[in-house]
Amino acid sequence: MIKKIWIIFLRDFKVNRRDFLALYILVIPIIFAFGINLLTPSINDTSINLALIEGENEKQVTYLEDFAKVEVFKNVKDIEDRVAKRDNIIGILPDGDDYYILNQGNEVKEVVDYAKILLTFYEQDVQIANSNAEIIDFGRIVPPLKKMLVNIIILMISVMGGMLIALNIVEEKVDRTIRAIHLSPVSRKTFILGKSIMGIFLPIYGTIALVLITGFRDINFFQMLVFVLVSTILSLLVGFIQGLTNDDVINAAANIKILFLPVAAVIVAIEILSDKWQVFFYWIPFYWAYKGNDAILSQTATWSQILLYSVIVLVLSGVVYAYLAPKIRKGLE
Amino acid sequence: MKLWHSFIKELKLSSRGFYFYIEIFMAVLLLVILLFAVPEEFVSKETEYIYFDLPDKLTQGYIEDILEDDIDGKSENVEIKSNGVKISVEYYETDKKKYYIADSKENLIQLTKTKRPLVGAVISLDKSNNNHFEYYLQGYESDRLKNIYLVFHNKDLNLIKEESDNQVVRSLSLDYHMLNDRENVIPSILTFNGSLMGLFIIAAYIFLDKQEGIIKAYAITASSVWQYLMSKVGVILVTSIISCFIIVVPIMGLQPNYPLMLLLLITSGFFVSALGLVIASYYRNLMQAFGAIYVVMIALMLPSIAYFIPSWEPLWIKVIPTYPLIQGFKETILENGDTTYTLLASLGFLVVGVVLFLFANRRFKKTLAA
Repeated sequence: MIKKIWIIFLRDFKVNRRDFLALYILVIPIIFAFGINLLTPSINDTSINLALIEGENEKQVTYLEDFAKVEVFKNVKDIEDRVAKRDNIIGILPDGDDYYILNQGNEVKEVVDYAKILLTFYEQDVQIANSNAEIIDFGRIVPPLKKMLVNIIILMISVMGGMLIALNIVEEKVDRTIRAIHLSPVSRKTFILGKSIMGIFLPIYGTIALVLITGFRDINFFQMLVFVLVSTILSLLVGFIQGLTNDDVINAAANIKILFLPVAAVIVAIEILSDKWQVFFYWIPFYWAYKGNDAILSQTATWSQILLYSVIVLVLSGVVYAYLAPKIRKGLE
Repeated sequence: MKLWHSFIKELKLSSRGFYFYIEIFMAVLLLVILLFAVPEEFVSKETEYIYFDLPDKLTQGYIEDILEDDIDGKSENVEIKSNGVKISVEYYETDKKKYYIADSKENLIQLTKTKRPLVGAVISLDKSNNNHFEYYLQGYESDRLKNIYLVFHNKDLNLIKEESDNQVVRSLSLDYHMLNDRENVIPSILTFNGSLMGLFIIAAYIFLDKQEGIIKAYAITASSVWQYLMSKVGVILVTSIISCFIIVVPIMGLQPNYPLMLLLLITSGFFVSALGLVIASYYRNLMQAFGAIYVVMIALMLPSIAYFIPSWEPLWIKVIPTYPLIQGFKETILENGDTTYTLLASLGFLVVGVVLFLFANRRFKKTLAA
């Protein structure tokens, strides 16, 4: 049976190579990884943005650059035009001997308060050199935002793997090849599994490529491997449910939208919601996958934790599969 | 007239399929989530771990300051699991922050290492009996943030606060109305629910028709290719308009500028569908087009990061079409929103949409029946 699955996969691979699909699968995780590498440094450094007049008070500009992103403009009018734009930037402008803060009027209070404090620090001549504080850091270079983005993309890639499986199956259904398989020595299950290997390969390769390129090289790779396999279970689940229960691509495409909802909900729940809300998301297998990957990427995961999460994903996926089994069986016919 | 008939026919056909109802179901689901699960104001509290290496009297002073703002006016003894060990700390919670007071420097360092709070701090006295602050950070914090920590306690904080409260703030306009957090989510939901999915769905429609041979059959009718494509775009527009209004009306009531919102929905939907058509014209089936569509969709989602982090807005993100779309939707639901901006954005989507549509039409004329 395994040989047959392999032959079907090789045939699929040949077809897909002609379509550049295999190339896509290889390239997409790399694009995402480089995208994350490009994005995170600038997002991580989000202090406030200030607008000052060029040459009016060089000392002030130099001082404020230590604490905020500073842009300089020729005159008050230019600053007013800049502040009036859609992003948040606060002007600091001279008024006689004093300075005043110029805002657009729609900024959140914290942004304006931050600008007021920085201006006060400058006026009170608060200097870093006179600091009564020292900073000790743990030498971690990967910001939480990067970890979050990598985790989200790992989840998205396993969903994408699932979607590939689903579309592959739906297309075969539309072409009526699944029925034709009846006449061949290959069983339908073998055929479907063979068609799924492309989608299984994506999360395995994608996760490894993503993690390596984005610089998570010190994580426990054995733990990651266990969780990559867990991701493939999710891909298979998504693929089988979507592929075998939908009769045409339009329904499969529309259903994918519904699929994105629990995925998005899980990310929001873990990243934003407080502990008391978490219990409402326990039933979603993606919840445990995201949590597990988060622990692995943070290097805080213990083996018992990883095994527990894996078992939960397996059991939940099993329950969903068992519930939908009659429909899936029907879809195979 | 022929276009109208094709459109009505497409609409009838799609109303028989699942897609139409899935869209409506999704809209209702999103509405329920927004109404019952998304609070009007998000409260995200910063977490600080502190150890006071000070004489009791000074420690007491700090604790009293924290207690003054504490929600219930008292501390709570909690145990935190860190690296398999339970560490006992005193917990205080104010409107803005959560404080965990450790009983030793070692425990503070371990907790800061494993729990990764915003900051861990040891407050002690230096040789001259002045307060001294040791900040434990993870290492990925920006230099600007580190500089703030370094100067924060240099001067008397009460003096800084008093001076800062006296700073003069002038606003360009006092006429701005703010959205609460729940309302603020709507523009990005409208963008993704309505416009972005159009990209995927229109491609799926085209490939489905290709596979079933409908397109070849179309070649012997009196209609032209652009009418066929336009009728597909029409169906996508109708579903996205219905689903968007299902979400917006119950939450925003009469506040939004609905005609303007409708205009933006139509023009942006047209633009996205035309983009979907262009992508679809390069592939033979959805499987092949899938990778390209997926990457374009993810790229189009990026401006929502900038939308939720207003101080991060690099120039390149403003070039992505969903940036003006999200901002345009925001202006339509704001009281006294910027009408000119939305009109300009709509015009932009219309013009680019027409160009893409004409291009797709030319390509499809050559390749549709292939």
